[in-house]
Amino acid sequence: MSQPPGSDTASFGFRDVPKEQRQGLVNEVFSSVAERYDLMNDLMSGGLHRLWKGDLIAWLAPPKGERPFRLLDVAGGTGDVAIRYARRSGDGATAVICDISPEMLEVGQRKVNDAGLATRIELVEGNAEALPFADRSFDAYTIAFGIRNVTNIDRALAEAFRVLKTGGRFMCLEFSEVQVPILDRIYDFHSFEVIPRLGKLAAGAAEPYQYLVESIRKFPKQEAFATMIRDAGFERVTYRNLTGGVAAIHSGWKI
Amino acid sequence: MVDDAESGDGIVESQRAIDPRLLAILVCPVTKHPLRYDPVRQELISKAARLAYPVRDGVPILTSEAARALDDPPHQV
Repeated sequence: MSQPPGSDTASFGFRDVPKEQRQGLVNEVFSSVAERYDLMNDLMSGGLHRLWKGDLIAWLAPPKGERPFRLLDVAGGTGDVAIRYARRSGDGATAVICDISPEMLEVGQRKVNDAGLATRIELVEGNAEALPFADRSFDAYTIAFGIRNVTNIDRALAEAFRVLKTGGRFMCLEFSEVQVPILDRIYDFHSFEVIPRLGKLAAGAAEPYQYLVESIRKFPKQEAFATMIRDAGFERVTYRNLTGGVAAIHSGWKI
Repeated sequence: MVDDAESGDGIVESQRAIDPRLLAILVCPVTKHPLRYDPVRQELISKAARLAYPVRDGVPILTSEAARALDDPPHQV
């Protein structure tokens, strides 16, 4: 569906590029914005990403006590999700952040150390499509604003399924389709007119933000993405819209 | 809390070691086989794929792009 004919190309924003080049282009975007990534999220979401990440962890509900629980946070470079998770869970709850961007991980490592959570959060540089973790290693898998940057989403979902334990849970927070009239028009204006300009002011370049906005529009909508998650083998797949569908959290279980 | 030993002569004095609990679940991203940690060279060795993955400041870099081919016969340090 979102697959171009022949499958030799992949969408990079609204542009088609050779599939093998896409990840490199995406990585360039993130290496160029890593230091300002949190600011960028604030600009793009009007600060709402903080609440949404809070919603993600609240829905995941990690154990509060000593019970061992291990989370894999993919594309979690700057540590935003993992740090929130660690603060809202007990000492038995640990996390591994896996990101393909060394620049993002560097920011994340600094934040994890500053938060005093280095004993509970580990960082690994790796690709969501070829995870460097053994089968059935994790109790939960989260990916927040990451999956639309993956070239082969099916492969990433299959890897998520593989590394989760039986009874483990997949959760994805991603920009989605606005399902409230009028809000959708405001959102369009914000996306295509405001964000690239803000990006230029904040980071000196509009292109990375242009890519981010366009990649959001290319990403499958709520129901279509839920189907992809089911196709990867997950059960009890549900989703919740956040802020009228500007973002959505999808959840699925490996049973 | 992590003290970066910045010695004047540019030699890294204390490499952050990989957490053994993390090491236990790491595999080669290509073959999914377990990895052997070489703390001296700061590498994770995949015997099956004949690849060595670097470890930077305690962060394993487990992408095929970052790996070094083990074309020479394995030599013990």
